[in-house]
Parts: sequence; C-alpha cells; structure tokens
Amino acid sequence: MGGSGSRLSKELLAEYQDLTFLTKQEILLQFAFLCPHSPPCWHQSTDPPWRWHCDLLPQVCGPHPANPFKERICRVFSTSPTRDSLSFEDFLDLLSVFSDTATPDIKSHYAFRIFDFDDDGTLNREDLSRLVNCLTGEGEDTRLSVSEMKQLVDNILEESDIDRDGTINLSEFQHVISRSPDFASSFKIVL
Amino acid sequence: MLSEDYGNEIIIEVENVPSGVQSHPSSNRICQEKALVNSSFSVVSSLSDIDVTDSQVFCKRNDRKGNRLLRFSTSLNESISQTLHSPECMGADTPCSSRETIQGQKLIASLIPMTSRDRIKAIRNQPRTMEEKRNLRRIVDKEKSKQSNRILKLNCCTQCLHSISRAYQRSKNSLSEFLNTISLWQKTLKIIGGKFGTSVLSYFNFLRWLLKFNIFSFIVNFSFIVIPQLTVAEENTLQFTGLEFLTGAGYFRDTVMYYGFYTNSTIQHGSSGASYNMQLAYIFTVGISLVICFFSLLFSMAKYFRNNFINPHIYSRGIAKLIFCWDFTVTHEKAVKLKQKNLSTEIRFLKTHSNPGAVLLLPFVVSCINLVVPRFYSMFRLVERYEMPRHEVYIILIRNIFLKISIIGILCYYWLNIVALSGEECWETLIGQEIYRLLLMDFVFSLADSFLGEFLRRIIGMQFITSLGLQEFDIARNVLELIYAQTLVWIGIFFCPLLPFIQMITLFIMFYAKNISLMMNFQPPSKAWRASQMMTVFILLLFFPSFTGVLFTLAITIWRLKPSVNCGPFRGLPFFIHSIYSWIDTLSKRPGYLWVVWIYRNLIGSVHFFFILTLIVLIITYLYWQITEGRKIMIRLLHEQIINEGKDKMFLIEKLVKLQDTEKKVNPSSLVLERSEVEQQGPLHLGECDAAPGLRFRQSVQEDNSRA
Repeated sequence: MGGSGSRLSKELLAEYQDLTFLTKQEILLQFAFLCPHSPPCWHQSTDPPWRWHCDLLPQVCGPHPANPFKERICRVFSTSPTRDSLSFEDFLDLLSVFSDTATPDIKSHYAFRIFDFDDDGTLNREDLSRLVNCLTGEGEDTRLSVSEMKQLVDNILEESDIDRDGTINLSEFQHVISRSPDFASSFKIVL
Repeated sequence: MLSEDYGNEIIIEVENVPSGVQSHPSSNRICQEKALVNSSFSVVSSLSDIDVTDSQVFCKRNDRKGNRLLRFSTSLNESISQTLHSPECMGADTPCSSRETIQGQKLIASLIPMTSRDRIKAIRNQPRTMEEKRNLRRIVDKEKSKQSNRILKLNCCTQCLHSISRAYQRSKNSLSEFLNTISLWQKTLKIIGGKFGTSVLSYFNFLRWLLKFNIFSFIVNFSFIVIPQLTVAEENTLQFTGLEFLTGAGYFRDTVMYYGFYTNSTIQHGSSGASYNMQLAYIFTVGISLVICFFSLLFSMAKYFRNNFINPHIYSRGIAKLIFCWDFTVTHEKAVKLKQKNLSTEIRFLKTHSNPGAVLLLPFVVSCINLVVPRFYSMFRLVERYEMPRHEVYIILIRNIFLKISIIGILCYYWLNIVALSGEECWETLIGQEIYRLLLMDFVFSLADSFLGEFLRRIIGMQFITSLGLQEFDIARNVLELIYAQTLVWIGIFFCPLLPFIQMITLFIMFYAKNISLMMNFQPPSKAWRASQMMTVFILLLFFPSFTGVLFTLAITIWRLKPSVNCGPFRGLPFFIHSIYSWIDTLSKRPGYLWVVWIYRNLIGSVHFFFILTLIVLIITYLYWQITEGRKIMIRLLHEQIINEGKDKMFLIEKLVKLQDTEKKVNPSSLVLERSEVEQQGPLHLGECDAAPGLRFRQSVQEDNSRA
C-alpha cells in the first residue's frame, strides 16, 4: 500500500466483509486502489470521511461517459449533502450491490432507485421517458420521437402497472424483474 | 422475489390527501409505502436512548417527520429539499410515527432470534448505507446480549455443535475464496464481457464449464486406469514416426491411449501386495465417471430450469424486460454506443409488432420439411420471412441440432453394427482411433475457421464489400460445436481412456483461438440475446440428446457386443458385462461380501424394485405438478384482486374529491353540519384518521378566510 502507510484495520475489514457482499480480496483491492496516499480516513465518527467526486472513479464513471447511468448511480449511493461525491464506504456499498453474490432482491431495489430520476418513490411517465433516453443515447438518429416515446411508455405501463394508477411502484417493478432471469447477470459491474 | 421478512401488504389507504388535485400520485406514494417490504429504517426512535454518536447519524432525518414516510422508498440520505414534497403527513403525526416505530421494532425483533449467520445475511440484505447497517447490527447485538443474560448457559454439547458449525463455515468461506482466486481465465472473461456483453460471455463460460468435466474425467481415468496399467506396461515394439499425431494409429496403438493395450489380468506387485483387477477397474471407472457426469448435468439443468425457465406470461410482451435489463457489464465506450443504437432500433421495431402466437406455426412447419431436403437450405432461407428475429435464431438452432444428431447417429450405427461385428482384430481400438481422428479433424477445422475464415470475412467486410460490416459471433453454432465435440468424447471414453485429456488440450487452445479471433474480427452483438434462457436450452441439449445418447450407445456396447479375443481388459469374455457377472460369482463364494451379492441380485437385478421406484417417482412428480397448478391459479386470483383494489382506490379518491368539491360550494355557515357528516362517514374510508386531517385542514383554512 502507499505512501503514508494507511492501512485497513482488521476489525474494519471484518466488518466490511460482514456487511457487504464483497470478498476480502475485493475490499483490499479497492482500498489499495482508492486510498494509497490519503490519510487514515476511516476512524469513525471523528474525522469527516474522505470523499471522491463521481467523475474520478473510473470503474463506475470514468473520464468518458461509458455508463449512461453514472450520475444516477452516484446520486443513489452518495451520503453527502450535495449527493455528488462518494465516500469509501459508499463505494463499497455500490460495489456490493453490483457484485456477483448480491441477491436479486437488493439489486432490483437499487435498480428501482437508479431509474427513479425524480426520487419520488415511483416511476411515472417522466421517469420512464428519461430512462429510455438514457438507454438510446443522445445521438440525433437514436433518439425516439415524441409519439414513439409516448407509445413505448404506454406499452411499458400496460405491461408493468398492475393496479393501473399510471405509475410503477417498487412491488410492480420487482414483479416485472422477477420474470426476466437476465436481470441479475446484467446488473453487475465487474472490476 | 420479495423479501421473506414481511408479506406484501396491499393496503389501500386514502390518507393524507392534500388539498388539491394531486391526490393521485401522492396517495399512490403512500400506498406504495405500505406495500413495501423491509420497511422503514426509522429505527430512529429506538435509537435515541442508546448512544449519542449513533443518534447523530440519524438526527438529520429526525428533523422533519413529514419526510419519514417517503424516506424508505427514496434514497436513504434525504436532503432537506425533498421534505418539501411531502407536506401531507403534517396533520397526522401520531399514526405515522407510531407505525414507523412499530415497524422498526418489528425489524429488530425479527433479527434477534435468528442465528448470527442468518442475522448477518439479513442485515447485509437491507438496502441501507453502511453506517445504518453498522448501527442496526450494534443495536441488535446489544438487545441480544441483554436478552441472553437471562437465558441459562447452554450445555457443552450445544456449544460443541456451535463451535463445529462455526469452524465449518469458516473453512467453507476460505475454500470458496481460494477457489475464486485460482479460477481459470477470470480476467479474460471480464474483458470479453466488458466488450461484448453477457451473451457472448455465456459461450466462453460454457466452454470453461465443459473443461471442468473433462478435467474430472481425465483425473479419474488417469488415476484408476492408466497408472496401474503403466506399472505393468509391456515394451512397445513399434516405430515412432511423426505421423501418429494425425492418424492416431501406428506407435500409439500399443500405448495406454487405446483400449487394446490394457491387460485383463489382475495386477499384483509382490506376493503380499494388494491385487488390482483391471477388468473391474476399467468398467467401474468409466461407469462411475459417467454416473457422476450424469448427476452433475442433472443438477445443473434443474438449477437452470428453476431460475431461468420462464412461463410465457400472458401479460408479458417483453418490452419492460428490454427496458429494465440494461447490461451494466459492458464498459467499453464504443460497445455502449453500439448497444444504445441497437436498442433504439429494436424499440422502434417492437412498436410495429402485433400478435406473436399465430405466426410461429409457419416457420416451424417449413423447418420440418427442410430436414428432409437439406440441400435446399439456402434457397429456402431466401424465401422465408420472420416476424421476430428471435424466431430466426431458434429455427437455425433446430436445424443445426438435427444435423448434428443425424451425423452422430449414423456414426454410432456404423461403429456398433459394422465395425464391431466385422471380426477385426481389435475393433475397440479401431473405433477409438476413428473417434480420435474425428475430434482432431473437427478441432483443425475450427481453428482454420477461426484464424482463416473469420479473418477473411473481416477483410471482405471492411475493405471490399463495406456494406457487410463486421460479423457477429454466432453463439448458437459455436455452442453446438462444443456439444458435438463433447458427445464424441463421452462416446469415446470407453474406447480411448485418454480422450478427455486430448479434449482438455483442445478446449484450452480453442479458448485462446476464439478469444483472439473475437477481439480481432467481430463486433458486439446487435440483437438482444436471452443469455439465461439460451444457457438452459444448451444444457438441456447437452443432457438430453447428447448424454443420454451416449449412455444408450454404451449400454448397447456393454450388453450386446462381443469383446475382441486378443486385446483389452475384457478379452475372451462373451460380453463385456460378463466381467461383472463373474465378479459377483466370485464374491458369492466369500462369506464376508454376501451383502454385495444380495444387493446385486435383489435390487439391481430385480424388476420389482425398479417398478416400485418408478411408481414412487411418478407419484412425487404428479404431486409437484398439482402444487404448481394450484399456485398458478392462486397467482391469477391475486392478480385480479390487485386490479380490483386499484379500481376501489380510484373510486374512493373520486368520491373524496367530489365531497370536497361539494363542500366548496356550500356556504361557510353550514360547515359545522358538513364536518359532522364527514366524521360520520369515517368508517367508510379504509384508513381512519387520515382522510379527515386533510379535510379538517381545509375547513379550518376556510373558517379563517370567512372570518377574515
């Protein structure tokens, strides 16, 4: 490990192993990658935790916008007041949810939060439109027209909105996800 | 799918309706709150008496009660601005906070009686930040230690069991971590997944999985058959020329590679050493390794079916799945852009799609006809049109499968009926050599295809006919090639015990060859590929025509064919199976082993036993089928119930809005009358204290206005 000899204490490592789905190797790898030169930043409760701005984390966000959901992921997992920076523990939470061994339950829960662009707890038409725009990209030829978008959102709601209230809540989302087995294997970030 | 802690409560509560028309989304928000499992993290109130440092983390959230109801559904670290969304709860403090406290206490209460392993798993599964999980664990531990002080000390027996189970868990964890570190090709697979997605990755995963089978077969064969034979190996009098690697004959004929070299005697070193019966060893080793492969395939298939076999739900057209299952493993920027473009095309295409059912019939019938006339494949393909690209993939798959089955079927027929009965000197070795040549030729052609064919296709696609572009990795065809090769290996194990080793080397080289070719000559796939469903189909194919065909062929060999007279471990016997018969006969003369003879005669050799076993299995299958049918009915009923309750909710909301509107029209002096009327109507609303606050609030505002 790096310069100032910062190291992860055994108790903290064991605690992280208990509370996340990551293995010891993965936690140490992330630690060595992110905090080689920073001062010991995980003495709890006294020092403010060290934070990284979302753009600096290459695995998720990268210097180039490879992942269309990078801002949403950062916002969902961030614990800072401005919601734009991740502490080491936030980052471990992120990796844990996106890891191989996380349960489909927790993955679908966080997927719902990531897709909920206005953070109101449901996916309404506006959320779904923004989601589709993220998926199809910003290019001129790939964006859907207004009528195409409306039709697509109508189709999605017809399929997923069971109680016909015009929005998709968490239970309905989880129900739709449970019918597609590919979800668990695609909702992964491999390091 | 939902967490096991709480049932999915479908409560319709028309509560906290704000004084406006926005009743729809907010009440839905509230309802969704109630329907959530793993609910509320306001363990807040129970925390307040514990530690100052603990409560500091939560004190921000304690500020506004109004935002508690929303907190769980949105991100846990609510910023202050979001409390502005939720003024509703202001009038109904007591019910909100009491419900939250109850749920928080419920969570803790449910965690306490669990074993520590389950508790850790449950806490890990909570969708909360690290800090909250840490605090939750601390609270639960404190509560547990408070309680356990009152419990009597466990007797040492239970303590022993606890420590044994803990040690076992630790060793299991370290073993799985060790296995993960030595996992083969982990990095390469990540790169492939990142660039090409999970679908192409599934081919390479399948290859790696097949490699494991071959490694296992090789180890078993090597330890139990090859090594004992090597200790009594005779001199090889043949000349070694380089040609043997191609033909498999020549020098190799008299080596451990082929059946003919193995002795049929009992190997014994020294007068007092243990004796080793080669005949029994040969047949049992091959048999047991195939049996283990059988069960391993069976369990994999069952696992895949359980997780990934999807009943075509009548309400599903796959659009929501397409939208919600974005492949996060793809990290390469160009691959992401390509994926986005393809998704957009597919969405536009989906728009025009109508009824899927009726159109499937035509391509299926046409493909059956094509079986009979395979020469017209290409002409028929130009003439057919497909409603969905997925059908095209299935049809090509089916055709290729039938082609492969016919090839192997004809070969087996030829080998078993013609070569074996031809009176050749050592026909098993001949068959072994033929299988070796087949595999080698297959391997050489695959390599040539990877290095030359695909390379040429790329040159053509990029330089000459640029409209073609780069090709895409044909997953179905490649996986079928793997299955075909593995089928040949399984058939050949009996005749050529080192065949798994050769296949191991082949698979190794194939992995790197395909990887290099993939990176150089291919582009990421454009069509959505249901990787899990296809893996289920592939494993099913591996099991059903492939492995069962192998078992069938071997059964015919062992029970019906006459071994050659002068070579191999079964030389001179009338049938291969007689080795076991004579063994049982020798055993029956020894008093200590009569139980083996009894098992053989009464269980394995008896028809009644199998009849009863089959009957029991059929009964259990029938019971499970009935349970599944019952559950399907239950799902349908629950679905209808949800729809009905949604309609009830709409109805009640409209009624409430109407009531509020009629209030507006009435003059203030009769407000007193209205209020009592409304309160009398209280029981009608499903959620009590709750509709009233909104109305009460409005009325008090109106009173103030009228007074002013």
